[in-house]
Order: sequence, then structure tokens, then C-alpha cells
Amino acid sequence: MELGGNGGFHGYRRLPQNSSAGTKAPEISMEMPPQMNQTPNTNSVTDDTECTVREQDRFMPIANVIRIMRKILPPHAKISDDAKETIQECVSEFIGFITSEANDRCQREQRKTITAEDVLWAMSKLGFDDYIEPLTLYLHRYREYDGGERGSLTGEPLVKRAVDPGTYGFMTFPPVPFPMAPHHGFFGAPPMNGFLKDPSNAGPSQAAVAGIDPPHCKEQGLELLNGGGK
Amino acid sequence: MKRAGTYSGILSGGISGKTGPHLLPLARIKKIMKQSSDDVKMISGEAPIVFSKACELLIEEITKRAWNITVQGKRRTICKEDVASAVITTDTFDFLVNLVSDSANSQESPRP
Repeated sequence: MELGGNGGFHGYRRLPQNSSAGTKAPEISMEMPPQMNQTPNTNSVTDDTECTVREQDRFMPIANVIRIMRKILPPHAKISDDAKETIQECVSEFIGFITSEANDRCQREQRKTITAEDVLWAMSKLGFDDYIEPLTLYLHRYREYDGGERGSLTGEPLVKRAVDPGTYGFMTFPPVPFPMAPHHGFFGAPPMNGFLKDPSNAGPSQAAVAGIDPPHCKEQGLELLNGGGK
Repeated sequence: MKRAGTYSGILSGGISGKTGPHLLPLARIKKIMKQSSDDVKMISGEAPIVFSKACELLIEEITKRAWNITVQGKRRTICKEDVASAVITTDTFDFLVNLVSDSANSQESPRP
């Protein structure tokens, strides 16, 4: 049941290895092509389990795939199991397809590392132009967020507020109120609860918190942070 | 893969709207990237992150298109054939055509 030769795509490369499986562990490691050494082989297991392990390695976890599908489907929509699996396979094929193209470009330019830019270029070349803009935005935000987190705790690039977050020991104060019950405390953040329960700020602060509506949180919150509720 | 806790997850969600905990595991993405070709050597840290979002977009697109076909057929369950139709009718998904027809007909040998 060899399904190789699909235009060079990777998905079925494991099958030749399976056909030679059934031997003991040491023999497998000697027979396998170099590429297979990169994958985590649990050589000590049986054929069936080895197939299963490799199967899992080849695809995205189905739960994650389903979650993404359900996000955009109406609540009453149902998905058959084979549809889920098909999409799971499509994702892996997509990754391989784009990576091959990106890798080719790297080799042409004599670079060893596939970068995010290579991936974006490959997607654009292979017809996924519509993805480029949201991906570029995503990447920029990721770089900002992650760079901010690692760089310092101020989170300045992310939130332009006159807050001194150094005092509170975490990154930043979210500008957008999010759906957490106000009565849990300040956006449910334990450190803030501790701060508010400070006896010196007890009265007015707690009253202010109790009366907070999410849309007003940010301003009142910042006032409390800055002055402890004057 | 870093798993953001509730607060930082909300934090990042509130700031950027989309970044933060990734919906797809980065290590798995990297593994699949390496499987695509023998000579994939090194992968930057950001490449799997771009892929995690790209795969999300892909899943959403295929799902939307498949669902449209399901609805046209007055059904509520997306079946494999709906996915196959969605793939076949979309130009950018040409690379998936063999995959969906193989899935549908696993007994047949692939067309040359």
C-alpha cells in the first residue's frame, strides 16, 4: 500500500519504513534513512504502536483542529469523524507544501535556517496571498508581545499609559476590560486583590471596586493604582 | 511550548486580540516541517508561530467552504465529501486534491 510519489510530498514517506518494520529495534535504526533518525523513534515498541506514534507525529492534535473548526461554525453544526481527519491531514500537507518551497528558497540563497519571512514568501508564491496580511500582523504583535515580555516588565510598547508597572511586578495593565466578574477583584488578579485589601486603602478603594462597571474599570483602576483612591 | 496561564492569556488576548497561547502546538509543527524534506536543517523560532496562525486560517477556510456545501445540501453534518468538494473547487487547495481523493478512495492507486 505504498502511496509515495505524490509530487514529492512527504505525507506517505513513513510507509516504506513500515513495510520494513517488524524487525527488532537495532535493525530498524540501521535500516532507516537518515531523515528518520530525526524523528523520535520509540524503537522499543511493537509495529502497531510505532505506527500510532508516527501517526500522531504527522498530524496536528485532532482536538485542536476541532476547536478551530467549531470556532467558526454555528452551534448546531456537526462534523463527521472522517471530515475531521481529512482536515487534519490537509493541515500537515499544507505545512509540508509551504515548508518545501521555503526550504528551496533558503537553499538557493544558501541559508540554513528557514525564517518566518521565508514561510510568508512561500505562502504568497503558492497562492495564499490572503493569509499574508493577517499573518504579518500576527507576527508583528507576537514580536512586540514577546519582545516586551522578555525585554522588561514595563510593557511600554503595548500599553501607553502613565502607570508605573514596576511597582506591581507585572507587565502591564490591560487597556481593554475583559469579561471577568468585577467582584473577583481587580480583573481577578491576585496581586491586585492584595493591594486593594491593604488597610490603608480599604475604605474608598473597596467601595470604588464594588461599584465598578467594566467600561469604567480602566480609568478607575488606574486612579486607584496611582493614588490609592483619593 | 509555553502555556500561558489564565491571567497572561487574557492579558495577551486583551492587548493584541489574537496572540498569546497558540491554538496549535509549536513542537508538532516543527516536527512536521522537518518531515517535509530530508534537507530541512534549521527552523527559526518564529516560523512555527507563523504556521500555527496560518494553519488556523487554513482550517477556518476549508471548514467555511465545506460548511457552505453542507448547507446547500440541506444537511447539518459536514462529511468528508463536503471537505473534498471544498478542496476541489478552490484553486489554492490544488495541492490537497490528491489527498482528499485518496482519503475518499483509499483502495485506489493514485493517478499519475
